[in-house]
Amino acid sequence: MSDLSANAPKKAMPRHRAGRASPLWIAAFLVPVFGYYLTFTVYPLAMTFFNTLFKSTPEGGQLITRFVGFGNYQRLFSDGIFLGNAVPNTLIWGLVGTVIDVVTAVLLALLIYFRLPLHNIFRVLWFTPVLLSGVIVGVVFRWVFNFDWGLLNACLRAVHLDMLAVDWLGRVDTPLMAVIAVHWWHSFGYSFVIVLAGLSAIPRELLEAAYIDGCTRRDAVFAIILPLLRPTLITVIVLSFIGKMRAFDVVWALTRGGPAHHSETVATYLQKRAFDPLLSGLDLGYPSTIAVVWFGVVVAGVLIFNYRASRAGMT
Amino acid sequence: MASDFAAASLRRRAPGQMRALLWSRVTVSLVFAAVLVFTIAILIPLAWTVQMSFKTTREILIDPYAMPSQLRLSNYAGLFLNPSVEIQTYFLNSVMVTGGALLISLLLSTMGGYVFGRMRFEFRGRKVFFYVLLFAVMLPPQIYYIPQYQMMAAMGLNNSQWSLILLYAAHSLPVSVYLMSTYFSQLPGELEDAAIIDGCNDWELFWQVMLPLARPAMTTIIILNALYFWNELLLAITVITDPSKRTLPAAIFNFIGELGSNFGGAAASLVVSMLPILVLYLFLSRRLIQGLTAGAVKG
Repeated sequence: MSDLSANAPKKAMPRHRAGRASPLWIAAFLVPVFGYYLTFTVYPLAMTFFNTLFKSTPEGGQLITRFVGFGNYQRLFSDGIFLGNAVPNTLIWGLVGTVIDVVTAVLLALLIYFRLPLHNIFRVLWFTPVLLSGVIVGVVFRWVFNFDWGLLNACLRAVHLDMLAVDWLGRVDTPLMAVIAVHWWHSFGYSFVIVLAGLSAIPRELLEAAYIDGCTRRDAVFAIILPLLRPTLITVIVLSFIGKMRAFDVVWALTRGGPAHHSETVATYLQKRAFDPLLSGLDLGYPSTIAVVWFGVVVAGVLIFNYRASRAGMT
Repeated sequence: MASDFAAASLRRRAPGQMRALLWSRVTVSLVFAAVLVFTIAILIPLAWTVQMSFKTTREILIDPYAMPSQLRLSNYAGLFLNPSVEIQTYFLNSVMVTGGALLISLLLSTMGGYVFGRMRFEFRGRKVFFYVLLFAVMLPPQIYYIPQYQMMAAMGLNNSQWSLILLYAAHSLPVSVYLMSTYFSQLPGELEDAAIIDGCNDWELFWQVMLPLARPAMTTIIILNALYFWNELLLAITVITDPSKRTLPAAIFNFIGELGSNFGGAAASLVVSMLPILVLYLFLSRRLIQGLTAGAVKG
């Protein structure tokens, strides 16, 4: 996605005899698409910003909505769960998870690229988790992490590491690790396949020439392959990071942000604030503020990273 | 010629090169063993789930890892026959939502892709329109899903499958238009010339000439979007609260709570909902991988 601009429509060179379509035809094709986009995406996007200025409270059986200016924003910066749990957790996940993701993706893709035996079968198997619904993944791993009979603890006990067999999803310190691990399981295949596609675009002649000059495989990886892979790596980093920022279903099915907000991410906290009867109080202004502040920052940060990283590669 | 060949083969056998190109047998075996263990570890949770789905809960609690004593289908029968579960309802809901959203997104993305991909449809400011549309590719759904919910509630469509169909199509639109436009831009312009000389108008040109040619790109979009629609949870639990209208992921999410400690039944419900995709993957693995990564690597 870092190279979207490469595919922007080029300036027209009217070289076809049949010429241009009439403006009416252009409108006939464009209006439905843009109308739909404006109605169902741009308008809600604008409304999210608009909503942040209001607060709804149920009074006498009715929902009263009042203008509160930037009150919601002020409230956000004294919200202990948001600042103390959701944001740090999401940031840790975004950084740690992305690093693990990219490292495993590159490692696995290199193995396939260098034609490990049965590489076609491995490629297909590694991609399988990507196809599953996050709900399924979350539930399966709730069983894997079960204290009494879960797969992980059964394995630990089998090798007599009983002291490591803990209640993975019920403690203060391990649920976030579990979320990171499970989401990695769910999504590493996707990063892996993108890196593999980037690798296959590197001309083999280049490597052959390097080998003839006495280059070892390790040299080739660090001196030729990884530098040429740079644009792909930027894409993978961006996609992996955004994937963790937006991820909802795996966390929701695995821990629901619990126990006591210890694996809360901004996405789950937002959902609770907006629609959980215990936390929301029917007010959609405050959750909209969370969405604007957090996801606005994330998108802006990613765009800046993407721009600077691809610029730095050119000089 | 002969000497050239000899020189080349000599060069090919240069000692440094041998070291570089071939892994030693020992290294290959070690790496292969490590990769094998890794792959098995990755897939064991799924195999375990399938195995659990054939056992009764009692068997599971006695020994969760023993192979089932017999191939019991009672868990599966329960999913379809038990009136408090009836998974086929949710299965059909998911099929309807996925199918409906696919139709809308296919129609809109081919039209949009056609406008942005063909020179015939060049106009001043087209690039701006394209970027405005592409901007949303980056956006997480969280930044607009609350007003989308409000919209659906205001239109009286919450708790109707139409809400999910309309919103899923909207979420998938930017990437789909982008993919279609790159595909359309690669088709030769002579086709249009020929069709117009033969008296086609622009709709006939699109519908009868260009669209049939764009079938590969449409397959990609169908795969990419169908998987997203089939697996989506966030909107599915937000917009739809009526239990009978739920899609499969939302229903499963609730089963797990309701079925409580009926682990066999829960495992069977997971298998039923992942089966269609895995069967498809068995036959179309290459296409599926291509389709799902097209949005990221095309360009």
